[in-house]
Amino acid sequence: MAEPVVVTMATIVVDGLTKDFGETRAIDDLHFEVEKGEIFGYLGPNGAGKSTTLRTLMGFIEPTTGDAMVLGHDIRDAADLIEAKADIGYLPGYLSFDDGVTGTDFLEYQAALKGDSRLEEMKDLFHPPLDRKIREYSTGNKQMLGIIQAFMHDPDLLIMDEPTAGLDPLMQERLNNFLRDERDDGKTIVFSSHILGEVRRVCDRVGIIRDGKIVALEDISTLLRKGGKRVRVHTHEPIEKGSLDLPGVIDFEQVGNDTHFTFAGNYNDLLARLGQFDLVDMEIEEPPLEDIFMHFYGGDDD
Amino acid sequence: MTDILKYEARRSATGAVALTVMMGLFVVLILAIYPSVAASGDAITQFIQNLPEQFKASFSFEAYTTVEGFLATEFYQFTWLLLAGLYLIYVAGGTIAGDVESGRIDLLLATPVSRRRVVVEKYLSLFVPIFLLNLVVPLFVYAGLIAIDESVDVTNLLLLHLFSIPYLALTAALGMVLSVLLKRADIAQRGGLALLFFLFIVESVTTNTDFDWIGAISPSRYFDPASILVDGDVDVAGSLILIAAAIALVIISAEIFRNSDV
Repeated sequence: MAEPVVVTMATIVVDGLTKDFGETRAIDDLHFEVEKGEIFGYLGPNGAGKSTTLRTLMGFIEPTTGDAMVLGHDIRDAADLIEAKADIGYLPGYLSFDDGVTGTDFLEYQAALKGDSRLEEMKDLFHPPLDRKIREYSTGNKQMLGIIQAFMHDPDLLIMDEPTAGLDPLMQERLNNFLRDERDDGKTIVFSSHILGEVRRVCDRVGIIRDGKIVALEDISTLLRKGGKRVRVHTHEPIEKGSLDLPGVIDFEQVGNDTHFTFAGNYNDLLARLGQFDLVDMEIEEPPLEDIFMHFYGGDDD
Repeated sequence: MTDILKYEARRSATGAVALTVMMGLFVVLILAIYPSVAASGDAITQFIQNLPEQFKASFSFEAYTTVEGFLATEFYQFTWLLLAGLYLIYVAGGTIAGDVESGRIDLLLATPVSRRRVVVEKYLSLFVPIFLLNLVVPLFVYAGLIAIDESVDVTNLLLLHLFSIPYLALTAALGMVLSVLLKRADIAQRGGLALLFFLFIVESVTTNTDFDWIGAISPSRYFDPASILVDGDVDVAGSLILIAAAIALVIISAEIFRNSDV
């Protein structure tokens, strides 16, 4: 008799997933895996195919070709995927509720369908006005209600489409901390965003999607190294273009005493060189996501 | 396994109560006119005898000067058949389509429920208005009759409402098909109104003509309130056809929904 083989499968395995909506191809031959216990950032500009990917993984949309396994269940097999859903928490990118019911009514309904073992804990962390009708909710309150429902049944896998959208900075931070704690407890989290800074703070690994195609799968540190920094220096005298010809300087722009560029080289070299100028002011910040796409992942900007 | 049903039933209760009360008050008003119709009985009978045959048949004018005939013509044959049917096809049209269009469906389908179950339970929740109408409207009719010191055969009245259920169940099932097919609430709802009205007219204008067979596609062909109320004639076979068609349409709806993107 053959030895039993223990196959450890990634929490999500995406294999050639493609979806055409008529003429347009929303996602195109996606391949990636999400391992148990990681926070996977799914990054891309609006309209790149993030929501389509996540909604396909949830079985809402049937892929044109390709397949994916979620928690070991086949997304093309509706009956199989329902079994997985008991262990999945989902937060849609576009949250829509029955306006006429209260937050409590909604959560009771969700509890009846999937359980509520962590409801009380979630209500302490995120507290929309549950006894009011959802019609009266602000965007932030709706988002909090969405987050509560995503975690209330203590799922193993969280699929969250732009989870911080509409939250105030305090709540964003609370959510980010909460997600990291959940990850430390062994939960797997897929987190889509179009904001690089957010992904950088929360995620372990990132997949970048652009025009329906995965253009990069990186550890977050690799991504940031490649992405570089946006540098602005204000000097007493204009900087001559030739005097900043370090490796890693891109997009050099100069207007009078103001100089902007993106830098993806060695920071010691940069600081040594900048030390030669009489600086009045200086900023170093994360580049916009679009710049990262343009410079490091090819293609025209759009 | 009835959580969706319970939730949807609670949500549709307000509309169902409002419609039921409206229908009830309307039938009482109609009945209030009857004494003056009965008083001028001969003149009206003569007028009716001069109406075209087809018109008489469509609106069951034959027994107009009796209270049963009057009630059938003025209320059941038109207001009841059409308005209750339109309400159900309209509400059904909004069920799945409304959820898909708004995006609410995501939060429902993210839970471990099958799409088949979603369709079936949402459909079954439409029996709240169906039962409510058929339980409460006859009470208004009865009260209205007492108020004008008239009476009808109570068994026939109850039979009429019992046999209304398959008819209304079918109109609701038609609405479900439109709802899963069109996925836009307003189109499914308006399409439903147009469809049912069209079917009703087809049945009315083809009755007793060479094109009688065309009316066979109309739900109102299989349910004739007037003949139940006036003659106690119940079309059991017709009701079975309506029930079978309703079940078939709900199964079709579930299959369409299972195989469509949301």
